[in-house]
Amino acid sequence: MARRQPAVRRTPLPIGLVLPAAALLALALGYPLGRQVVLSLQEFGLAQQFGRPPEWVGLGNYRELVGDSYLWTVVGRTVAFCFVNAALTMGIGVGIALLMTRMSRWVRIAVQSGLLLTWATPVVAAMIVWQFLFDTDYGVVNAVLTGLGWDYDGHSWLIEPMSFFTIATMIVVWMSVPFVVFTTYAALTQVPDDVVEAAEIDGAGAWQRFVHVVLPTVRPVLLVVLLLQIIWDLRVFTQIYTLQKAGGITRDTNLLGTYIYTLGIKGGDFGTAAAAAMFMLVLTVILTAPYVRVMLRQEED
Amino acid sequence: MVRIKKILAIAAVTALWGVTSACGSDDDSPATSGGPEEADMVVWLNGTDTPQEARDWLKETFEKEHPGSTLTIEEQEWDGLVERLTTALSSEDQTPDVVEVGNTQAPTFTTAGAFSDLTGDLDELGGDDLLQGFVEGATGDGKTYAVPYYAGSTYVFYRKDLFDRAGLEVPTTMDDFVAAAVALKEDSDQEDFSGYWLPGQDWRDGAAFLWDAGGDFAAPDGEGWTGTLSSPESIAGLTTFQTLYEEASGAPADANEADPVTPFCAGKIGMMSRPGWVYGMLTDPEAGCPDLAEKVGVFALPGSDGGPAPVLLGGSDIAVSAQTPNQDLARDIVALMLSDEYQGILADAGLTPARESLASLLGDDEFAQATIEAASNAKLTPAAANWATVEGTRILEDLFSQIAQGGDVEELASDADERITEELN
Repeated sequence: MARRQPAVRRTPLPIGLVLPAAALLALALGYPLGRQVVLSLQEFGLAQQFGRPPEWVGLGNYRELVGDSYLWTVVGRTVAFCFVNAALTMGIGVGIALLMTRMSRWVRIAVQSGLLLTWATPVVAAMIVWQFLFDTDYGVVNAVLTGLGWDYDGHSWLIEPMSFFTIATMIVVWMSVPFVVFTTYAALTQVPDDVVEAAEIDGAGAWQRFVHVVLPTVRPVLLVVLLLQIIWDLRVFTQIYTLQKAGGITRDTNLLGTYIYTLGIKGGDFGTAAAAAMFMLVLTVILTAPYVRVMLRQEED
Repeated sequence: MVRIKKILAIAAVTALWGVTSACGSDDDSPATSGGPEEADMVVWLNGTDTPQEARDWLKETFEKEHPGSTLTIEEQEWDGLVERLTTALSSEDQTPDVVEVGNTQAPTFTTAGAFSDLTGDLDELGGDDLLQGFVEGATGDGKTYAVPYYAGSTYVFYRKDLFDRAGLEVPTTMDDFVAAAVALKEDSDQEDFSGYWLPGQDWRDGAAFLWDAGGDFAAPDGEGWTGTLSSPESIAGLTTFQTLYEEASGAPADANEADPVTPFCAGKIGMMSRPGWVYGMLTDPEAGCPDLAEKVGVFALPGSDGGPAPVLLGGSDIAVSAQTPNQDLARDIVALMLSDEYQGILADAGLTPARESLASLLGDDEFAQATIEAASNAKLTPAAANWATVEGTRILEDLFSQIAQGGDVEELASDADERITEELN
């Protein structure tokens, strides 16, 4: 046996199977990333987009960005938005998942269908509905609130940055909760009943059972979901972009995603946009590093 | 067995490489003239400005004159057009052949080399007869990259019945105009009624008040450009905008001017500045309100000196994409769009023809007079090469919207100046 094992290792099959995927990944991720690094070191504007040779500026684009206090405002805003949204999504998602373990079958199916529909709605279609709900002149929310006796006639929900981000948070959380619920619920069904029962017999209360028995079992799943949430909420784009067009002040509501888009595609300065995108990349790595480390440690265990 | 697995693995690897390499594109340099005899041509037209009749005529005529070729018109939204042109025009595979572009957006693309040089075709397309302001805007270093498509400045639509009820006359100076707008609003009992409909983001109509007071967005400064929104004249103009918004407009401070029909048909507009073709939308029995449209009169926005105010010279250019291989066919399409027949259809819809000799096609009714009068003193945005990025980054939408919200005009204007100067240089 011991002699045969190395022989098996030497077949090229595993490498052959991994290679295509690795090559595709290298192409699909490596090329844009390499291009982004190159672009961030160039003065690359509209004229270059149409064929004029670009000029190398070294770290000029980075210097310009770092010296601009607006970048730091946007970075701060992005991180805050990301944490608030990821926390709310996780809290609400795990809450609903726990609730679902206690629901009768029909109620659970109804809840699941509702969540599934939310998850399946295309972002742009959903955004049109949300815009209609919060429209200044003809919005449903204003009409209902006014009907209830408050003075919300012609109230603009997007004009104040705080109000803008509250609406954006509602939409982003609404869209990502189903994923958390389904994944967590699936994990919760894997918690062995006999262990929970044993804990109950040993005198553990509901909260203790949750913290000491259920939570450790589903912890790996929760970690992965949280990691994904943070990445998603960090690079949120469509919702902010659509809301900016519906109203609101672009400069006061930019997050990193829309800021990069404003610099590059709208402003025609692709070099600086690429440099700003590098900040986004670094930010993602910094924010997700602790979770990745915990996950790797779990793998080793 | 091992062998078969090996072969399978190699086959899988090669297949995947094949797939991925097929995604690469060959990088031929763009042609500047010539191209195939037959092709499927794509024309980008923006918004609903071009009437359906003109679109049908263009498609039929082109396909009849070029058997074997087809012409597809793809309608683009004005909103976000600069972004879409930036990405589409730079790719040989995806570029439309002929594009309509706003006259104020054209210089950015002409200096970037996105459009084909049309200098040699100018004489054939109309020469000096073409609206010269548009031709100049699209000319750099003696080469012309775009030709006018139509012009159309906004003028004021007003409700005659509301004027009668409030005892108002058609205003002849800027002061009268502001007073009339405020009076109409006071005369109405609806809270969101607009004596003068002025959505907060509408800097294109707001520009008239800026210019009438002697201000401007930016001025040449040595080699570059400087924002001039915080000059005393500009501040005076922006303050008029704020007054009008606060005392006469019922439109949201963060809305744009895209949809005047809904509030007008709801009876919530006394006056509004809109291009002539909007009248066609008001009289439409399904989407508009023909009853209210009957009560509409029009006049050119009056300036402080009693003449027409300097409104934004609106309109569009057409250009041929530098990247399209179908250069000759694309030029034929441009020629058709400047022909008497096609321009005649545009004129019927209230758009000012691209050739001066065709101006009579507009007719001589109230609408034609207002069109001609408004155009007589119309102005362009600063002729800076990067102007389209000022529009693209929404600096002006932000500024006018914040002024409409009651912000400090001087502070906001000097912030905007900083950002405009940054974008233009």
